[in-house]
Amino acid sequence: MNLASAFFVLFSAAIIFLYYSFPRRFQWLILTLASVMFYATYGIEHFLFVILGTVIAYFAARWIQSIYDASEGGAPAERKTEARSILLWMSAALALLLIYAKVGAFLIQGIANLFFGGRTANAPIISVLGISYYTFSLLSYLADVYWKKDRAETNFLRLLLFAIYFPKILQGPIARHKDLAPQLAQEHSFHYQELCFGLQLMLWGYFKKMVIADRLALFVNTVFGNVTGESGAHLLIASIFGAFQLYCDFSGCMDIIGGFSQILGLRLETNFNHPFFSRSAAEFWRRWHITLGTWFKDYIYMPLAISPKLIGFSKKVRERFGIRAGRAVMTVIPSAVVWILTGIWHSVGWSYIAWGIYWGILIISSTVFAPELKKLTEALHINTKAGSWKVFQMVRTFSLFVISRILTIPGDLNRSVQVFQGILTRFHPEHFFDGSLYTLGLDRPNFILAIVCIFILWAVSMLQERGPVRERIARSNIVFRWMIYYTAFFAIVIFGIYGPGYDAASFVYMQY
Amino acid sequence: MKEKIQKLLESECPDIDFTASNELVTDGILESLTLTIIIAALSMEFGISIPYEDIIEENFNSLDAMAAMVERLAN
Repeated sequence: MNLASAFFVLFSAAIIFLYYSFPRRFQWLILTLASVMFYATYGIEHFLFVILGTVIAYFAARWIQSIYDASEGGAPAERKTEARSILLWMSAALALLLIYAKVGAFLIQGIANLFFGGRTANAPIISVLGISYYTFSLLSYLADVYWKKDRAETNFLRLLLFAIYFPKILQGPIARHKDLAPQLAQEHSFHYQELCFGLQLMLWGYFKKMVIADRLALFVNTVFGNVTGESGAHLLIASIFGAFQLYCDFSGCMDIIGGFSQILGLRLETNFNHPFFSRSAAEFWRRWHITLGTWFKDYIYMPLAISPKLIGFSKKVRERFGIRAGRAVMTVIPSAVVWILTGIWHSVGWSYIAWGIYWGILIISSTVFAPELKKLTEALHINTKAGSWKVFQMVRTFSLFVISRILTIPGDLNRSVQVFQGILTRFHPEHFFDGSLYTLGLDRPNFILAIVCIFILWAVSMLQERGPVRERIARSNIVFRWMIYYTAFFAIVIFGIYGPGYDAASFVYMQY
Repeated sequence: MKEKIQKLLESECPDIDFTASNELVTDGILESLTLTIIIAALSMEFGISIPYEDIIEENFNSLDAMAAMVERLAN
């Protein structure tokens, strides 16, 4: 069930109606049932994976909790070791499910290429929907119980609901049990303002997805479908469009599910905070796919960076090569691990491994060489407070993101190299003006509309940066308010891109 | 203990005023990278191992909080 389908809109409306019609104590059960139905529409094999993952997390967390509860005031060393073993083994079991679903096909193909000249048996590997998102949520739940930052859930169905709460299972955000589970368990009354705010957010999400992202996708797919034949000018425009396409697709989805959840009285974690206003790669990743970044920071980066072994190694390096080298060790090793894993999390192909290495090098070098970069800006007499410098930094960060899109859009590293070659060796700037841009999936009116929509996106983002827009709309007079609603609604209906069955294209991040 | 920690952290992170706030982490003065530097410095100086469950805002929001945590772990 695509979130941008008429069926999903009807399904959501029915759930909202049932959610507020039944006695409030049944609300969480209605959501559980709806989530099971929603997930089951994708096939029963997907459901078996999520059930197995939840069973593992449920019993492991309860086991760890029972150890802590039996030894109040601090578990003795051997019991603490037992809790640690449970955490490690059960996390490994969850990780294995994830690896099987994501890496299995890649590994089997690699082995087949190496030993059998590419011939593979029919490997029982399936692409499990949303597994990257709910597995990470369950892993964080288990770790939080072990670190005593959360308590084990005693009701299996409530944990299942946390894992498969249907709006978030397809593309996240990667929820934390201690934040979402209490909200799901709570009883919620209907509030008209929450309905209005939720619908506004959903409308904005559908606009980003169906009017902008799916329109840009037509151009991007056409150009990237012929990377050796297209000119550098076309490839460059397609790469820039590809950056906006991914942002509008992914953040549009987050707005749709965030708005729907708000109507139900639930607050999902923010996943995007206007990343194209970032002035550095590090800031970009604090604004883009935020829940993935914080997950890696809390469960991989920090535990690695503060582990006694790494601190001990850093101390030795520091004594031998100086304070800066010692610190660099503490930054480089955990960051490198995080970025390689982030790449693999997206996909196990070489494109995403290169993508992870690319971002890792950018972020690590900006941290390690921060003193030199500071000296350079001083030597060049750059006024770092000037608006023009800030704009330059934003354009630079956006350009870095566009390069990373070129690594991933073609789906094959060789084809990515061909895109870079095309941009550098056969640019043909006349292709910006000779009308050929309007023959690549978007005719002239649609191309101009795409540009206008990107400007609307920029303007709305600027307003959102300055403060909450929805509250301002709510305070405005009724005529202006309804004008905005109607304009947004009809813009989606008239300018939205519809495929077979009047459904929008699938969301890009659903594949992870 | 507090003075000793202050001196240590000021030499490690000279750009940060550790007395500026009692909400150093909450106010965003200490980010994750700085926190790892502080944790490494405290571990090396006082020969302690700071378990991950102690890496919470409350333990790093002020010099007093850090001193209390170090004393507890050292004992």
